[in-house]
Amino acid sequence: MNIFLIILVAFVILVGWVISVYNFFVSSKARIKASIQEIGNQLKRQADLIPNLESSVKGYLTHEKGILEMLSEARKLISKGQDASKQISDALSGLKIVVESNPELKANTVVENLMNELRDTSDKVMYSRRLMIDLTADYNVKRVSVPSNIVANMFKFDELKGLETAEVGEHLTVSADEMKSPKVNL
Amino acid sequence: MQNIYEVQQCNKIKSSLITALFFVFSVIAIYFMSQAFGYYNGYEVGGVGYVGIALVFSGISTFISYYYSDKIVLTISGARLANSKEHKLFASVAENLCIGAGLPKPKLYVIEDTAPNAFATGRDPDHAVICVTTGLLEKLNRTELEGVIAHELSHVKNYDIRLMSIVSVMVGLIALLGDWFFRARFFGGGRSRDNNNDNQLGAIIMVVGIIFAILSPIIATLIQLAISRRREFMADAGSVQITRQPAGLMSALAKISADHEPLEAANKATAHLYIANPFKDKAGGTIGWFASLFNTHPPITERISILQKMA
Repeated sequence: MNIFLIILVAFVILVGWVISVYNFFVSSKARIKASIQEIGNQLKRQADLIPNLESSVKGYLTHEKGILEMLSEARKLISKGQDASKQISDALSGLKIVVESNPELKANTVVENLMNELRDTSDKVMYSRRLMIDLTADYNVKRVSVPSNIVANMFKFDELKGLETAEVGEHLTVSADEMKSPKVNL
Repeated sequence: MQNIYEVQQCNKIKSSLITALFFVFSVIAIYFMSQAFGYYNGYEVGGVGYVGIALVFSGISTFISYYYSDKIVLTISGARLANSKEHKLFASVAENLCIGAGLPKPKLYVIEDTAPNAFATGRDPDHAVICVTTGLLEKLNRTELEGVIAHELSHVKNYDIRLMSIVSVMVGLIALLGDWFFRARFFGGGRSRDNNNDNQLGAIIMVVGIIFAILSPIIATLIQLAISRRREFMADAGSVQITRQPAGLMSALAKISADHEPLEAANKATAHLYIANPFKDKAGGTIGWFASLFNTHPPITERISILQKMA
């Protein structure tokens, strides 16, 4: 009677463990699927956002660009030793209008905001890929490690690929050019 | 050289060992104190009644502070909801890291204080709160801020707030029992001493009970602090797992420790929640081994050197 009870308890614990491992694999698969959709979601956000941002920033920049062009025209004339007072007064009157409509010239902050948005959106895409990679790695590790591999084999849980990356190729080798530290030219 | 997964594995094992040690110690301490209570009051069954009452007291107070931890802490520290326009960087960094960690987006709060610091609270990831000071937002750049927020998100992901609540129920229980033990000793009525043999055994148990009553609150607190420090290391490793940029958290920690202004909004009850000790050590990092036992946080230099190994 006692032995029977012990076997029963052991069996119940075993079944409970198999169920929990099985559930880990199934829920992991569902989460990985959702994380792949999240990547798509972020890419779509990026595709919607960037062109709109670009055109609105461009619109803003043309405002100030005209004035800069006029000023550089004037500078060219001066450097050639010619009278540039007409060009300067043209530029100044344009500048006056811009300054009156925007007390501060904002191109600087507008471009900075654009750069922040660009970094932010690529971060979002990167992090959504990170989640997918992490989840698939957890799943694959659990699939091959003892003892959960028994359950994985029993129910035929296959290895998942995660972010598909070529396993051979240039990204795994370093060429002579890449050994030098890069110089930034502006 | 350990990779990040080995570090996390090692942290997990150490953390569960300390936690197990803590619970074993609690059970032993409670057992002896209740036995001594039993002998003192004249019934042999043991003072289960006292343990029960102490558990109820300690349990209720901690359960309330656990369940409403977010609201209580936020009220104490005078935090206000972060505004997505005013704190745009904070909001977008938190959102991005949540995407990476696979967590729901927590509520974001800001404390008006120039001392840079941050903490996380809330009973589970669905009720998580992350709070930063305005000083932190001003002094850190984006990469550093990512490191700090990822550290806080790891606390949320590891259910550290839940663990520390359970631990403080036990510490509270032991402290209450020890306290009552002495009150009963000095003010309660003694049992009639008629049986000499039983009296000897009773005396031994009384002595053991007194020793436990004196020492166990201190020992329990020390183990609690050791758990707290271990969880900080775990959160540091978790932060690196999310951002993969140890340099960000390293320079953030360096900046936070370089700032010697104490955080006014923090008090002893909330100190263990912050990313770095909000009171700042006056000795400038040269605290001794004994004093470091009483710290809620491991020394920043040690945290940075561990992060360096992961880089």
